[in-house]
Amino acid sequence: MKVLYSWLREFVDVGKPAEEVGRRLSLRGLALEGLDPAGEGDAVLDVDVTANRPDCLSTRGIAREIATIYGLPLKEPPALWQAEAAAGGSTDGVTVAIDAPDLCTRFAAAVADVRMGPSPAWMQARLVACGVRPISNIVDITNYVLLEIGQPMHAYDQARLAGASLTARLARAGEQTVTLDGKSRSMGAEMLVIADAAESQGVAGVMGGAHSEVSDDTRRIVFEAACFDARSVRTTSKRLGLRTEASMRFERGADPTAQLTAIRRACALLEQIGAGSPAAPPVDVIARPWQPRVIHLARPRIAGLLGMDVPDAEVARILAALGFTATAVDGGWQVAAPGWRVDMHRDVDLIEEIGRHHGFEHLPTTFPGVQQAPAPSDPRIGRDARARRAAQAAGFSEAISFAFIEARHAAPFAGTDAPVALANPLSEKFAVMRPSLVPGLVDAVSHNRRHGRRDIQLFEIGTRFAPRGETRALACAWTGLATPDHGSGGRRDVDFFDIKGFAELLGAAFDVEFSVDAPAEGSIEANVLVPGRAASVRVGDRAIGWLGQLQPAIGDAHDVPANDVIYAAEVDLDALTAAAPIDTRRSRPLPRFPTAVRDIAMLVDESLSAATVRGTIQAGTPDTLVSVVEFDRYQGKGIPEGKVSLALRLTFQSADRTLTDAEVDAATAAVVEVLARAFGAIRR
Amino acid sequence: MTIDPSIGPDRARAVFDDELAAVSSAAALQDLRHRWIARSGSWVAAFMERLASAPPAEKKLLGRGANELKKHVEAGLAARETALASTRRPAGAVDITLPGRRPALGFRHPLSLIREEVGGIFSRLGYQVLEGPEIEDDYHNFEALNMPEEHPARDMQDTLYLAEPLQPASYEAPTRGRAPKGPQPLTLLRTHTSAMQIRQMERQDPPVRLVAIGPVYRRDNLDLTHTPMFHQVEGLVVGRGVTLADLKGTLTSMAAALFGQDQAVRFRPSFFPYTEPSAEVDIRCIRCRAAAAPCASAGAGSRSSGAAWCTRRSSSSSATTLPRSPGSPSAWASSAWPCSSGASRTSACSTRTTCASWSSSADEGPVFVAP
Repeated sequence: MKVLYSWLREFVDVGKPAEEVGRRLSLRGLALEGLDPAGEGDAVLDVDVTANRPDCLSTRGIAREIATIYGLPLKEPPALWQAEAAAGGSTDGVTVAIDAPDLCTRFAAAVADVRMGPSPAWMQARLVACGVRPISNIVDITNYVLLEIGQPMHAYDQARLAGASLTARLARAGEQTVTLDGKSRSMGAEMLVIADAAESQGVAGVMGGAHSEVSDDTRRIVFEAACFDARSVRTTSKRLGLRTEASMRFERGADPTAQLTAIRRACALLEQIGAGSPAAPPVDVIARPWQPRVIHLARPRIAGLLGMDVPDAEVARILAALGFTATAVDGGWQVAAPGWRVDMHRDVDLIEEIGRHHGFEHLPTTFPGVQQAPAPSDPRIGRDARARRAAQAAGFSEAISFAFIEARHAAPFAGTDAPVALANPLSEKFAVMRPSLVPGLVDAVSHNRRHGRRDIQLFEIGTRFAPRGETRALACAWTGLATPDHGSGGRRDVDFFDIKGFAELLGAAFDVEFSVDAPAEGSIEANVLVPGRAASVRVGDRAIGWLGQLQPAIGDAHDVPANDVIYAAEVDLDALTAAAPIDTRRSRPLPRFPTAVRDIAMLVDESLSAATVRGTIQAGTPDTLVSVVEFDRYQGKGIPEGKVSLALRLTFQSADRTLTDAEVDAATAAVVEVLARAFGAIRR
Repeated sequence: MTIDPSIGPDRARAVFDDELAAVSSAAALQDLRHRWIARSGSWVAAFMERLASAPPAEKKLLGRGANELKKHVEAGLAARETALASTRRPAGAVDITLPGRRPALGFRHPLSLIREEVGGIFSRLGYQVLEGPEIEDDYHNFEALNMPEEHPARDMQDTLYLAEPLQPASYEAPTRGRAPKGPQPLTLLRTHTSAMQIRQMERQDPPVRLVAIGPVYRRDNLDLTHTPMFHQVEGLVVGRGVTLADLKGTLTSMAAALFGQDQAVRFRPSFFPYTEPSAEVDIRCIRCRAAAAPCASAGAGSRSSGAAWCTRRSSSSSATTLPRSPGSPSAWASSAWPCSSGASRTSACSTRTTCASWSSSADEGPVFVAP
């Protein structure tokens, strides 16, 4: 809301500079958005008026706040036409009626003879300063009154009104109203119109009609100032897609006491600028008489809510200055709210006003008392922190990407479900909710590659979306070197076992062991990973994710440079939590007896997987075997075609004695025997 | 110079001293040793030969001179050898000034750091820290927060809606509140974390003391001061005798923990449909220290009954207004727009941050630009 400082000063005699007034307003809830000089000694204050304060969408409303801040009296409008309203709904042959008393509580009007022309320069200057375009003396008067006291008005050309009547009634379904902007609008049966005896002459509270618009030929006008229902104007304005200065005020709530004042002010201005004079006393049709809302304010509630004491005299001063009528009663006040304070419903509303004008700067800083131990926080927070530490320690940097991605990027990761799509996405790039964090990470990899970075290790912890619901996952993407470059050599690109190693590390951080399988036909991982370098990850029987080398087509779709190899993994943290031990604070005593180590090399078929060998050993050997490590795989000279030499390091240990050489040798022989029996393996 | 005992032992000593001074390696020292004290062909040997043929009268003097020369040479060589040994690299030595073979340590995202920090601050103040669903139903996101059907925030222009409503995966019947019976269809991306407050109040009797943290979504086009996804932290306290002054104390201590002990906090009255009294909370600009420049903006207020208040702040803007001291200089680059009265309220002091690995999903730049 733009207000002119000199105009404000017609209502409140504040002598301070506009900057200071603006600063004080900001601290009392009317934030100053801008301050522009306007001629000598004058300024335009651009005030951000919150949605609950339609009364401050006027010069007088803001002046009332300033008067309260500075303890100054608020003056009435400079000149009002001193005429009493005529009884009944008719004046000088024009009849005013309300057919829909729920949607229009009051309708004031006056008939005036006018001489059309431009308004005087001073009036035009004020309108322009407040951002309103001058049109003609009559239209300018209605806008001037709107800006001054906040009551929207309209002027009809009386000659164009059939039957010389104005009725606030519901529209007939499909009824057409041609509004001032020249557009024909189809009305709904729930919308309120102002109609003459024949047809609609305007959308009530939104915009007047073109047919009865004042023009150069107009000789006699009808001024309208009415009070319309906020919800009705709001829905009508929204349905028609038409927002105006009038609708913006009505939809926040109009002052039901301002209509006759507005008519009197308009008629006084009419005479003041020599544009005409009223032909007869005004009419004031009241369908629902206004009753002030009376709220009981108990004294202890003020300090109880604010946490600061406000003296009684200060309470009374603030309420009176804002236009409330406060009557002291036992233990507090009975407070009647003025008509313009449509936001007053309960005592907290009054207490907010008292706190606001007493000043939040006087609030002490205290803390709420503790009545009970705090409830535990969301367990995902600690869990995610643990996963994040593991990823960070493994060299991954954290990314946070958008939860909405392109549909074509989501498709390969959505499986058989259609991705969750948005009805009104900002663009095609943000069309669907991500079914996986990996597309976002590949985007980030692509972005980094195109900015000249070669080795990229990124992870993200975030929400994935599917029709079945949300899951929290950790995903990572890795391209370039496996370890940082070093002068001593050892340079190597990332490979399958690096990404698998990270997954195992993550499992270790949660005290669970991951198993891998070749992806099932039709699974997401079978779709997005290179065959032969793809693995589904599970804990026991529970599937929790996947890892492997991304299909080059995925990288291509994200504009990753060709030939870039990206390894990726995604682990469902919710499933991981469900699979992990509830209490990971477990410990084992240090072993009391030494270990014994034996290395063996076995010749087996090259197609035999390490997991199968390991599983067979563990199933068929003495329980003194505590670990099996595959430390070499050799093919070449001395090894028959189709075979591989598998070197295994076996570690034996007993909890209750030191194992003898003979026992260890026997146990080793048992391992060799198991492998020979199961796979025809030969010890080398 | 060539070996010439005729110059006499004293001058020979001076020659040796010069030659010794020029020696810089063990090999050169060995050569020098040979040249001066070898059994034959050395300076000392030459003096001995000359001694043998010298007349008896000179013998005594020459003999003492030759002996002293030999002792001087031996002492000089020994001292030099010790000195050289002390500078020699031991076997298997490495250049310790080469960089270490450092295991890579990943960088944290600034938003994730600020989330952790804010969660920690409120945990210490005795709050429960909660996260919630990001796809919400209409009741929890709007209706229960006094934002009726025709409220402008519910417009398709401002809120991101799902193309097809989803059925919630699980349903927990509320024990309190006025929520509609049965599971509600999930229709939108939450526009604030406030829905979490409603959900928690439905399942818990007062007193309540919680903060909800997480990403929220609004239909804002991505530019320097807007992003359609940003992070929010929101607090709720329900209990007897809770006051607006308690809220001021809590937020002041949070600002002090985040931005420094002397960080000024200003409460400015404002309006939110779900709190009363309500305030905007400004902190002093941490860069220019201008008095109470509203750079990080937050809403705060008290619920109607006077027994509850809630606070809300955007962690995206906190993340970018934090002083950036930790981390290696190569990893962070930030630039600030100076405070200016012309800038809009929430962006007046925002900072754009870039980390060693860009984590953007948009071509325009990093995703963690302050809203």
